Formats: sequence, structure tokens, C-alpha cells
Amino acid sequence: MFAKPSRRELLQSTSLGWLALAGMVGQPAKGTAAPRSTDDSPLSEKKPHFQPRAKRIIHLFMNGGPSQMDTFDPKPELNRLNGQPLPESIKSQLQPTQRNRVGDIFGSPFKFGRHGESGLPISELYPNVAKHADDLCVIRSMQGEIANHTPGLLLTNCGHSTLPRPSLGSWLLYGLGNESDELPGFVVLCPRGLPTAQSRNWTSAFLPGVYQGSHIDSESPSKEIVPHLTRKDIRVGSQRGQVALTQFLNRRHASLRPGDERLESRIHSMELAYRMQTAGTDAFDLNQEPGHIRQMYGDSIQGRNLLLARRLAERGVRYIQCYHGAGQPWDHHGSIVRNITRMAAESDRPIAALLTDLKQRGMLAETLVIWGGEMGRTPTVQKIKDPNKVGRDHHIDGYTIWLAGGGFRGGMTYGSTDELAMAVAEHKVPLHDFHATVLHQMGLNHKQLTYRYSGRDFRLTDVHGNVIDEILS
Amino acid sequence: MIRAFASPTSSTWPRVLTLGLIAVAIGSSNVQASDAGNDFFEKRVRPLLVNKCYECHSEQAGEQQGGLLLDRQAGWLEGGDTNKAVIPGQPEASLLLAAVRYQKADLQMPPDEKLADHEIELLEQWIQQGAPGPADDMGETEFSKLGDQAYLLNKATQHWAFQPLGTFHPPPGTNQRWNQEAIDKFVSHRMAGQGLLPSPRAAASVLARRLYFDLTGLPPTIAQVNAFVAAAEQDFDKAIQTTVDHLINDPAFGQHFARLWLDVARYADTDSAYRPDTRTPHYFPFAFTYRDYVVDAFNNDKPFDQFILEQFAADLIGFKSGDPEIAALGFFGVGPHANRAQTEALDDWIDVTTRGLMGLTVACARCHDHKYEPVPTADYYSLRGVFASVRRLDPLDEQRQPIVGGYEPAKADRRDYEQKRAAIEKKIEQAGNKKSGGNNRSVAQKIRETELAELLLFHPGGPAHAMVVTENPKPTPQYIFVRGDAAARGELVPRRFVQILDQQQSEFAADASGRLDLAKKIVNPSNPLTARVFVNRVWGYLIGSHLVFTPSDFGFQGIPPTHPELLDWLAADFIAHGWSIKHLARRIVLSETYAQHSKHRERSAAIDPENKLLWRANRKHLSIEMIRDSLLAVAGRLDRTQRGRPAMMWGDDYTKRRAIYGYINRFNLDPTLRAFDFPTPMQSQPKRVESIVALQALFTMNSPFVADQAKAIVDQVAFRDCRSDQQRIEFLFRTVLQRNPVENEIARVQKFVSFQTRFQTQPGKPTRFVDSPWPLLAQSLMMSNEFQYID
Repeated sequence: MFAKPSRRELLQSTSLGWLALAGMVGQPAKGTAAPRSTDDSPLSEKKPHFQPRAKRIIHLFMNGGPSQMDTFDPKPELNRLNGQPLPESIKSQLQPTQRNRVGDIFGSPFKFGRHGESGLPISELYPNVAKHADDLCVIRSMQGEIANHTPGLLLTNCGHSTLPRPSLGSWLLYGLGNESDELPGFVVLCPRGLPTAQSRNWTSAFLPGVYQGSHIDSESPSKEIVPHLTRKDIRVGSQRGQVALTQFLNRRHASLRPGDERLESRIHSMELAYRMQTAGTDAFDLNQEPGHIRQMYGDSIQGRNLLLARRLAERGVRYIQCYHGAGQPWDHHGSIVRNITRMAAESDRPIAALLTDLKQRGMLAETLVIWGGEMGRTPTVQKIKDPNKVGRDHHIDGYTIWLAGGGFRGGMTYGSTDELAMAVAEHKVPLHDFHATVLHQMGLNHKQLTYRYSGRDFRLTDVHGNVIDEILS
Repeated sequence: MIRAFASPTSSTWPRVLTLGLIAVAIGSSNVQASDAGNDFFEKRVRPLLVNKCYECHSEQAGEQQGGLLLDRQAGWLEGGDTNKAVIPGQPEASLLLAAVRYQKADLQMPPDEKLADHEIELLEQWIQQGAPGPADDMGETEFSKLGDQAYLLNKATQHWAFQPLGTFHPPPGTNQRWNQEAIDKFVSHRMAGQGLLPSPRAAASVLARRLYFDLTGLPPTIAQVNAFVAAAEQDFDKAIQTTVDHLINDPAFGQHFARLWLDVARYADTDSAYRPDTRTPHYFPFAFTYRDYVVDAFNNDKPFDQFILEQFAADLIGFKSGDPEIAALGFFGVGPHANRAQTEALDDWIDVTTRGLMGLTVACARCHDHKYEPVPTADYYSLRGVFASVRRLDPLDEQRQPIVGGYEPAKADRRDYEQKRAAIEKKIEQAGNKKSGGNNRSVAQKIRETELAELLLFHPGGPAHAMVVTENPKPTPQYIFVRGDAAARGELVPRRFVQILDQQQSEFAADASGRLDLAKKIVNPSNPLTARVFVNRVWGYLIGSHLVFTPSDFGFQGIPPTHPELLDWLAADFIAHGWSIKHLARRIVLSETYAQHSKHRERSAAIDPENKLLWRANRKHLSIEMIRDSLLAVAGRLDRTQRGRPAMMWGDDYTKRRAIYGYINRFNLDPTLRAFDFPTPMQSQPKRVESIVALQALFTMNSPFVADQAKAIVDQVAFRDCRSDQQRIEFLFRTVLQRNPVENEIARVQKFVSFQTRFQTQPGKPTRFVDSPWPLLAQSLMMSNEFQYID
């Protein structure tokens, strides 16, 4: 199978590595970043830098920041010390976050079990997801930058906490083009509204606008995958005749103007548009799914959302992002026990169904499923007046995400947090490394995927990023 | 994993010690000391550096993060942005060691994982020995000089863009027709050098369409095409001059040319964020006065230098509340601000000033000296000092934002506005001090930000204010932020112009922000960039390709001009003619270069496939604004009214005014605009690009707006007066495409008409479908490539 040694590995392989490589690596090409495609249309498929392991991504975004020690990072020490005050020396390490109401140590009220052959620890909040334990690559050592939602979302999606930068999905489209002839390549599903930070999460920033994500409210009755997808006041036959006539005029026009490839491209793009009308409508029609599939996902907001995601993935959409909901539903400052139970219950069955479904269709190997939020939560209580309604505050030093499929090693954990879940103990993973690794699995070298703007070459990982080889199969 | 502790009892210690001893032993033997040192470096130190450091600090990796290279002696001796990395013989004073020991919280290298103790010991040994090596030092290379400002500033003295405007005498043109205008002399001469010949003039009908679109953004009527063709047959020169004069003095000229500037000025009617609780944008109810100011400036042929002065400092050169010119300050006012630290707003102002006006990428020097351009980080902070001494007023503030003169709402509008306003004020009053449940925000404030702001933004009877910036009482002393970090104060920098354009570095007035001084520096004719950059923008707008392909980047990283002498000649001519934009536009469109036909020629294309040398005219795709305006125009419904508040471009209640008056929501840019490459107004935009995506075709096929215009055409009296299908077909071709159909087109359309007629239900029977073939035909023509391209 394909396995590309990293530069670091190559350098390590010989003490003269630096000499041998000097000629091989050479100067990075400046300004010639995106892999070349056969034609110049911005969305046509392009060759990756190397053989990819994943063809598409479904990013399950638990927006708000799910608690790591209640889901995938068990901390028995917290349970042992439950209710005790945090030593002042440790407390001072916490970033002053929301209103600085750092309370006592808060052990998880949820039981963890070991699952699958790998024995991966997963809490009782995710009983169905746990059945896929051997497919999950759990990273417990994610490192954020600023403990709040908007910076966390922007960092996770666009690689920078504050500045407007293109999102991962936009970079993917820029680098790889759109696999689908009929659907947009970057779709954001968010039921009933917009997540925090809104369209900045899927902005193309300075990349051309065609690479921006298409947001769809998956619960909206009038959902249209793209603007102007259909027209209700025209007969199918009438429109077919109309397009045929326009194309006749276009071909005549182009034949009198040889040497202008744009005119051919536009003829092609009108044919595509015509096909998109049916394909786009089909993709959203969940009634075309057999009953047992719909049942597996469940007839719920999350169930419909993820089933839709699978239908889009199947049709070649490159990057599908599924927010749990508008705003930041996983932000459990208060009543975390009740709230996280509800959030997990909403998402457990659909996520498990998605993994099952992808697997049974033979798609999981080439589909990278990502689960996670923009940060994690504190190992301590966030104090509020009513002791029965406590929650956890924001925390960025060592939170958990997991990945499945797409060439990631299942049934493993990577990195760890210290016993009190205060900070990363081992293998810190900054978001830049996460991005570098995801791009790598999609066949892109994060250092070569650059775009010249405003006088310099930009990339998703800025000047950072390492591919984490240890978590790749 | 066992955590290593920095203790000599660690198991790794003896091994390192041994290595050290060997090295010392070699170093003190009779073998030439440097060889032994080099050997030690290559065998022991280099592999460690390669493994752990070169990924970010070596030429082979193409990285010198923090400005530090560890692949050569000069690299570690001179060090990076922070300080010298290695002081030979003094490990304790060497920053490299402090970094690998993780002594400082903000400087821990390598960042992923601390080196093992024995590795740190090794580096200590090496420095102790005088940091010998490497064996074949690469010394200074092009790569290591990146970011070296002394080198870049020196190199810049030779760079074309920083040279004073040359006084170039046009070379002889290649034939008599091409030997009249300077533009043609330069262009044909350059072509001849490459064995290229210019193309013949375009047919008069083609040229008519081109002139109308390029100068006004609107198509001619077929009557106007015919009139031009007839006049050109009599006297071509006179015909084109008369037509150009007519078009350039049409208010549509300003409406079209303003868009060129608004892209640079990242114009929008809202801010970059959205209020999550009210689900509304942060409105800019008075941005439109800046847009109108720009349109008027182009229509009145305001000298470009004056145009810049007013946009920077209208308030400081005598304009007051009530003057139309006070709206010019919107150049800064309409930029993106919300939810961004002041730092980001200032960054935007620096960027729009330097890239937008001078093609300098100064904003790149925010965290360190520019890597590729002669822009030290001090330049960034000199300008930042100017803008930090200025503040933008609250966009909703009706008290302090000055009135803009020249807006006289109709009485009825005024009355209606006042009634609606009174109702809202009453609601605000009733809200009192109430807080909203969710987030404790004042209910009254929310009403002001939403209902009231929307009324102000859209109601034609509302007041007109200017989105101004104003001086702070005292200028802010500006320090360099080391690595862009406001907490890391570097040296104090005076407010002054960028070094590359002002060798003296004279300081701006001490008691003011320096906005006016800055604007004067920008438009001083001795500054060669401003005129070059603007002339290039206008050239690109009219010719369809730029002389400098990177219109907002004239630095080393930009692409040099295809016709450097012509660019300078045009810039000098522009200044000599009082910075007149109309003069400049006239020069360009009256040239033979402009008038060529756009047909492909095999032989020329083989030599110059991208038409860089302008051997033919460029076939241009219409912008989305031009497409929209043209659709309304051919439907006979375009409202050419000037000035006023923005209005919705699509939807049930779309405006029939020109697209320049369309509402631009920066936070949530309209998907149709986006699909047609309208630039996102988050940053100053260098130029439009043309992409070809299916979304554009879907718009022409399915948008109710397009369908509406198709229906409107066949509602015209002239269409209803047509007596036969042939006449109807001809009418539609003439109206939509400004030409007559040819025979096989008529035959094909007749087939279409009879095909569509078969779908028709019985007359009088209601249906939700478009039944008549005629609006369908009109739309087919609107969907065609011919409609969207200018030959």
C-alpha cells in the first residue's frame, strides 16, 4: 500500500540526509501552489500532490465544545478527588475564561467501558458509537489557542483564531477541485440556523469565491443546495427546449470565435447546470432511501442531517461539515449532566448509523469522519448559584477529537492529558498538525498548498504544521 | 513514557560526556583544529539539527522561521528576529540553548517536544567549543537574504516600480494609423519586436457595443449601434470622438467607473459580523453617501489627487458638515470593523492605503520585516501610528456623523419616514431600561440596531450622514510590536511615510494624526507609484488585461509591466493633465490598440498566446453588475436615477436601479454576486477574475429576476406591434443582442417556437407555467454567451 515517508523520516534515514535531500527538495515553488488541472476551470478536478488515502471528509462538528472527560478521555483521578478544591498552583494554570468561576474538581458522573478488540475507553454517553471503537482514532491531546467559541471555531476551520483566512474546505476545493459534476464540493449542513461565527467558518477569504462552502439549513423546508436550482413556473420540456436553443446559439457564437476556450467551458457549464437541477434535488430527497436505512439513522434532526451527509458524500461532495445545530449547543456551562446526556443521545445513534452505513457501502476506507468541537471543557465545576445545575467551563489545553476511516488507525488513542486533565501530558496536537495530517490524507502536502495573495504565499497551516504519522495506518 | 529530568544523574549523561570528551580530545589534538571542529559539527551536531530543527530553519526546507537559519554559520551567529542564536564559547549567553532548555515560556524549541537531555548537552558542548562548522558553509544566499531589509532596500533602488516616472518619447509606430497616438506607437513597436502585427479595427457595430459597455456598463440600443455605424462610415475619427464624448459625459459613466474604485475600497453596506441575538448584520446606514461621492467624483472628473486628499482628510482641508465632500472619509469608514480588535481595523486601513493606492504590500510587515519587499516593520508601525490616532465614529451615530449635502428627499418620502421613525422611537421609549432575557442586552439598544438602522439604511426619506473618521485629541505614540505582539513593545516609531518612497523619513506634524501629510505624500507627483497603480487599474478596466498583471502588488513579488515605457508615459500624461480620469479613459479608448478586433489569429497566438502584447482586443466577460443592468436595460425597465440608498437586487421587491445601488451585505455576501466573482469586500481587491461555474448558468436559467425581464420584453408595445413570427424573432434579437438574426438562426428559432407552442394549454385555461414561447425565447437569448461577452 501507499506509504509516503515524511521528510523528517527521509532525513533521519541517513546521516547524510540533509545533503541527499538538498537536491531533491529544492526550493519550494513560489506562487505555483495548487496542483495543476487539465483545464483552467477553478472547480475542475486536480491532481493531488500524491496518492490520497481519503477522498472526502464528513466533519461532525459538536459545536460548543464537548467535555472530553465525560466522553472519550476517562480521568479516574478526578473522580477520586471529586469535590475537592483545585490546588492553587494548578488553578493558576487555567486560562481565565468565562467569568473566572473556577470551582472544585468535578469527576465524570458517566461510566466508562472498554470497547472493541482494542478496548478503547468510551463513556456510557455513546453506547452506539462505542460499537465502532475499533475504527476510532482518538486524539486526546488537542491544543487550542484561545478559550472561546469564535476563536476556537476559526482556528479549527480556518487555521487562525482571529484573522480572516480560508477554511479547510475551501483549501481542499482549491487544491483538489470538485469531484462532483453536479453538486457543490463543500457543503455545510447546519439544522435550524447558523453556528457561532457563522459564515466565517466556511469562508474562502482571499481564495476565489467559488471555493466558499455552501451553507444549507438541512431542516429548512425550502432547502436548495444551490441558489436558483429549480424553477417552478416552467415545464421540464420547455426548459429543455430553451437550453437546447441557447446551446445552438452558443455553438454558433463559439464557432465564429475560435481560440477562446472560455466559450466552450460555458457551453459545458450550462449542460452541467441543467443536470444539477435533477441531481441537486435528488440528493436532498431522503424519501429515496429505503425504510431500514432511514430507521437506522433515526427520524430526528441529527438522523436526517447525517443521512443527508452520506447521500452527499456518495455523490462526490468533497467536504461535508455537519454542525450539531445553530449557535453552540455543546456549550455546557450549566446543567452539564442533563445537557450533555441530551446532546449525546441526539447524536449517538446517527453517528453510529453513519459509520455502519459507510462501512457497508465500502466507503469508510476512503471517507474520513471527524468528530469534535472547537475546544473541550474544564475538569472543574463552573460555579453557579444552584449546585444542582453546575457545568464545565471552556478548556483548550488537551481536549479530545476522534477520526475514523480515511487511512487513520482505528482503535487507538494518541496523546494524553495529565491526571487532572489540566494540560497535555504527551504529544501535543496543535490544530495546525491536525490540518497538516488531514490534508496529507487527502493527498495534499500542506506546505505546497499555497496561494499567492497580497504579496505572499499563504497556506492553511501558515508557517506551522506537522503530519502526525503515528496515527496513520 | 518516562519523563526526563534535567539532572546529571540521568542515564544519558555518561554517554554525552563521553562524546564531549572525544570531541574535545579531537579538538585539542594536532589535527587542524577547524577540521576537527567541522567534523564534530557534521557528525554530531548537524544530524541533530537536521532531525529537530531544519524543518523550520534551513534553506533546504525553504523555511527560516523567526528569521533564523541553522544551516550556516552566519545563520546562528546573526540569529533571527529575537537575537543572536549562538555566542561562540558562551553557552549560557546563547539564546539557542535557552530555547532548547525551555527556559522561557515564549521561546521553547523545538515546539513539539523538548530535546532529550543528552541532545541539549551536545549543543552546549558545541557552543562551548566555539560553535565550529559547517564544513562547507553556504554563506549568504538569495534565500538567506530574504527579509534582510538593508539588502532589499538597496535592491529596490534598481526595481522598476520605485524609479521616478521616466520621460519616454514614444517610438515610431509600425504604420501610419498606429503612428498617431502615443499608446499605439508603444504597443505596435513592442509587437514588432516580437514579430507580431496588430489586428485590424473591429467592425463599427462591434466597436459601438464595446464602447457603450466599457464606458457606461450598459449595452447600446440597436438604434445607437446603427447610428454609430452610419456615422463611422462617413468619418470614423469624428464618429468615435463624438460617441466617446457623449458616453464619458453620461452619468452612467460614473456609475460604471465607481465600481472599479469600490472594489479597491472594499465597499459594503454592513460590517463583517452579525448580531447573533437579533440575527441582523451590523448595518452601515450611511455608507451609501460614500458610494455616491465616488460616483460623483468620476462623473465630475474630480482630479485623482484631490480625490485621494478628500478621502483621507476632507475634514482637515476645509470640508464641513453639509458639504458633499465630507462623505469622502467613508474610504476608511466603510471598512470592516465589528468583532475585530482595533488592531485588525488598523491593519485594514494600512492595507487599503498601501496596496490599494500604491501597490505596496505593507500589511505583510506587521509581525516582522517584509520577507520579499523593501518594507521594514517600522514602516508598518509608522503608518499604524497615523491610523491609531484616528477613530471611526459609531456608524449609527446620527449626532456626530456629519450631514452630507445634496440629498433632498421628496416630501412624501420625508413624511413617511418621519411617521415610521416616530413609531420606532415610541417603541424605544416604551422599552425603557428593559433588558432582554437571553443576554441581558438593552431592548432599546436592540431596536436602534435593527429596526431603526434598517429604516435609516433603506428609507428614501431618511437623513444622509457621512461615515467619517476623526482625529483623536492627541496622537498616539506608536511602538513597534515585536512579532506583531502588542504586549512586546519594541522601539518608538514616528508617524511618517514608508522608507522606500521617502529617504528623508521626515516626521509628520506632531500635533495631528498625519492623515493629511500621508495623503500628500501619496499624491505627490514625485511618488511614482500612485499614478502608475491607478493608470494600470483604468487600463485593465477598459482593455480587459493589465499592463501590470498584479494591480495591487508592484513590488518584487508582483509581475513587471508588459509595457513599462507606456505605463510611465500614461502615468506622466495623467499627472500632466491634472490627474483627469476622463482624459485618461479618453486616451485609451481613442487608441487603435483599443479599437482592434478581438479575433483569434493562429500565428500571433503561437507567439503570444496570452495576448500580453495586445495584438488583438480582449474578449471581455460582463461583470454581474453589467449583466444585471443589461437585463433591465434590454427589458426597457432600467431606472438610471443617481444617488440614494441601497436597495435589494433580487427577490420579490427588487430594485430596477443600477447594480451599483444594490445592497451589499459584507457579512453574508449575496450568493449570486459570489457566484459571479463579485469580490468579497473584506479586503481591498486588486481585480475581478472570471470563473465559469454552473451556478452562473443556473442563475440565467432559473432566477425569477431573469424570467421577469424576459417577460417584460414581450410586454413592450413594440413587441406587441409585431405582425409576424419573423418580426417577433427579429425584434427580440435586435433588443437583446443588438443585432439582426441570420437565416439559420431564424429557422432554428422557428422550430423552437413551434415546439413550445405544443405545450400551450387551451387559451384561457389557467396554468402555473410560462406558456407563450416568446418570453422563453427572450430568455434563451439572455442566457446566451453572446449576451455576456463583449467582442
